[in-house]
Amino acid sequence: MSENVDLDVMIGGPQGGGIESSGQMALRVFMIKGYDVFGIREYHSDIIGAHSYYNVRVKAQKPRSVRLPVDALLALDAETIFTHYNDLAPESYLIYGTESLNTRIDGIAPMDHDTKERVKEDLKQKGVEPVASEVVKYLASTGVKTVGLPFKDLLKVTAERLKTTVVSVSKTVNTMSITALAAMLGIDLGAVEKSIQLYFAGRKGIVDSNVEAARTTYEYIKDNYGVSKPLPDGPHRNKVRMIATGNDIVAMAKIVGGVTLETYYPITPSQDEAFYMETHRVFDLDEEASRSLGQSKTGTLVLQAEDELAALNMAIGGALAGARVATTTSGPGLSLMNEAISFAVITETPVVISVWMRTGPSTGIATRQGQQDLLHAMFAGHGEALPKIVLASGDHLEAYYDTIKALNWAEKFQVPVIHLLDKYMAASMMSFDMEDVDPYKVPLERGKLVPNPDPKTYKRYELTDDGISPRAPLGTVQYIVSSLEHNEYGVVTEDPVIREKMSLKRLKKMETIEREIPESEKAVLYGDPDSRITIVSWGSTKGPILDAMGSLAKEGLRLRFLQIKTFLPFPTSTVKKIIESSDDVIAVENNAFGQMVMAVRMFTGLNINKRIAKLNSRSLMEQEIYNGVKKALSMKEGLVVVSDGA
Amino acid sequence: MARNWMDYKTDAWVQWCPACGNFGILTALQRALAELDLPNEKVSIVSGIGCSSRIPYYIKTSNVHTLHGRPIPVAQGIKLANPDQVVIVASGDGDLLGIGAGHFVAIGRRNIDIKVILHDNAVYGLTKGQAAPTLPLWFKTKALGQPNIQSAVNPLLLAFASGYTFIARAYAYHIDQLKEMIEAAIRHKGTSLIDVLQPCPTYNDIMTKEWYEKRIYYLDKEDPSWNPNIEKPEDVKKIPKIVEKMMEWEPRIPLGVFYRNTMVEPLDVRIEKIMPGYLQNPPARRSIDIGGRALTNPFVAFKDRIVTT
Repeated sequence: MSENVDLDVMIGGPQGGGIESSGQMALRVFMIKGYDVFGIREYHSDIIGAHSYYNVRVKAQKPRSVRLPVDALLALDAETIFTHYNDLAPESYLIYGTESLNTRIDGIAPMDHDTKERVKEDLKQKGVEPVASEVVKYLASTGVKTVGLPFKDLLKVTAERLKTTVVSVSKTVNTMSITALAAMLGIDLGAVEKSIQLYFAGRKGIVDSNVEAARTTYEYIKDNYGVSKPLPDGPHRNKVRMIATGNDIVAMAKIVGGVTLETYYPITPSQDEAFYMETHRVFDLDEEASRSLGQSKTGTLVLQAEDELAALNMAIGGALAGARVATTTSGPGLSLMNEAISFAVITETPVVISVWMRTGPSTGIATRQGQQDLLHAMFAGHGEALPKIVLASGDHLEAYYDTIKALNWAEKFQVPVIHLLDKYMAASMMSFDMEDVDPYKVPLERGKLVPNPDPKTYKRYELTDDGISPRAPLGTVQYIVSSLEHNEYGVVTEDPVIREKMSLKRLKKMETIEREIPESEKAVLYGDPDSRITIVSWGSTKGPILDAMGSLAKEGLRLRFLQIKTFLPFPTSTVKKIIESSDDVIAVENNAFGQMVMAVRMFTGLNINKRIAKLNSRSLMEQEIYNGVKKALSMKEGLVVVSDGA
Repeated sequence: MARNWMDYKTDAWVQWCPACGNFGILTALQRALAELDLPNEKVSIVSGIGCSSRIPYYIKTSNVHTLHGRPIPVAQGIKLANPDQVVIVASGDGDLLGIGAGHFVAIGRRNIDIKVILHDNAVYGLTKGQAAPTLPLWFKTKALGQPNIQSAVNPLLLAFASGYTFIARAYAYHIDQLKEMIEAAIRHKGTSLIDVLQPCPTYNDIMTKEWYEKRIYYLDKEDPSWNPNIEKPEDVKKIPKIVEKMMEWEPRIPLGVFYRNTMVEPLDVRIEKIMPGYLQNPPARRSIDIGGRALTNPFVAFKDRIVTT
């Protein structure tokens, strides 16, 4: 039964050594087989050589996280074996190339010194020599099924069959590895071949050599390891589906959501969002829009700025002229954008800033996970830079709709919106269907945008009941925009009475935002609503939390989970109500100081005295929440640090 | 009916010191706009922070008073979104060459059609007379506690190296000549710099009216054959002479148009090439929805992420 399938597969190798195509191909193999996939890429801040890996979860319906131990490890090099030998479940598969067997740990130059020492110490404890062949033997003794692939021989056979040279097929080793993995997991050769055709679409020579490599490997596995129990077909066969990273899906949402100008400065892990938009700067309209506009395509301008100061200030200029604008960055870039956020606040300029958080402080670990910019985002900008909106998404599909909402809110309330995302979402991929990304579900709204104001009466900063003034694009009517305190016409003033009125206008606008954004957009409750054990969290921890709650519920431990989605405006009444009606409250965050806990205390006066934190910069996994919750419940109060992942 | 310079005046009180060079720039700018008969709302003057950056309040156009150092990015955002807008940056030497120097360089790489008017008095007026990036080495203007131990940057050479395609230098008290240069810059399609030398009667007691007027001369008056135009490939032969003139400072300071290159594509033309339809439907004007309905569907627009199972 496919409903019972829950596989977790890891593929590791040197960065730039085919790890990317192996991971992508594996994801497609499982999708073609009819399953939903969720995959995370862990990588070094490096172009080529350092250890990188994919962790891929496979289920019939929407896996939301990955887990350890894994059911199969595909090791494209010896470093992978040394890095992940403790991550394998009993009865799992280790697939490796036989030529890496002689590698000693000290011979692996890119491997971190501290990691090597720790691994050597652990192997010593286990009585294992730090040589790949010995680690493989040790794993076999623990029940792991080890599958060595003689790549040289397999390449030779493949070349002979294609009547060509070994060199010309040498790039098929990744396909061989994936095929071996598929064969061991009971996946038919057809699914692998289809995935090759899809991944290398249009490049016939490459498709042919990879298909032949797959066939050769499949036979080799069958001859040497027998035929595995077939993996049943999943429920999603014969469908047109998608797979995308969080970066991709936010880029898609920006284009669908009507962004006409995106500016950015390259920074990990945000840059792939802007890259994807650049690739799709000219895009096809749907049938209705084509008919209505009399054109089949339109465009979104993407511009790489010289720094983040320019990126946000350019976006603000574009918004002043009437464009729907956004920018994208990470924590260090948000630091540079702070002054311009304040500028957007006083000039009442709509702009969406996607912030893909990573490990800090400072440059920290640029390619790894962190949720350390929450308070930074809330307090961004000098001189009481309020009102603004701070919104955090929990997963890919939420990020898609939240991006469109953020664009609407920015224009409706004429404020900067900081959309918090993170490396976990940026570099993870999930499968989804057309109905999951409905472009028409959230109608596009532009608030009080007035295209043709009356020049005689127009006041850009008119005092109104809701604090929001009519917004005419610069160039349609003569008026001034100022970073200085200004009167209703935008003209600079130091008059104390007007200054006070403008302060109250901004305060009133925050109240309007609080009133008009429904409570259901601010916080969401999952799980058993009557449970008195509550997890409170925000952002991408959602997936591991929900998956772990499923496992805990099977054991009879029923929890509820309050996901805080907006921090400005803050869901004060909901958070208060939930905390006050709980016996146990556990906060989960990827930061050390409990930034969400601080925000909760600030707005509700209530404390959360049990915390689970992941601080090692790696992605949070299901089993860490599962174990962490149990541990937290056994304590009166305190911090549980979860530390899985290599 | 043609506009007159009074049509670009506002009723705001002008807060500059008596005899400030900014007055000359203000008048020249208003007269240039009138001469070109530009509709008030179709012009945006974008400034940073400092004395000169108050100019947006004194000219009746669609202006933006931005942050310290950031007028160039904001101006580019306006121009990218609406290429029909006439966009002028008017800001000080500290703003454009100190805190905003990165943007001063980057805009040249784009050759975006924006005019940068550099109010160059070599001091920070609003913070009471500190040395600006154009104050020469060892000058000790009256507010300084010690002589200037940092050398001056040459705005013309920096603009040239960065890719500006129109480079001129003017003198704030010569309003007619400055007005002509502003008009020429607006007519030129590309990133333009006018470095306007201006005395600061309050804080720069060295580079005074007398100091400047002893040194300045006009390139085209001195040499009637002076021709700064690069219009065809062989005109690059003029460049060594142009650079030589840009470097001249003591004992004489040349004024006029140094360089006008019409062979470099401006940014909007480059964008149109990679995104056909940009000029007709620029970001500020293209429709984003039909009555709230999005224009596309991910499965229509992003086929590269589709997997047929």
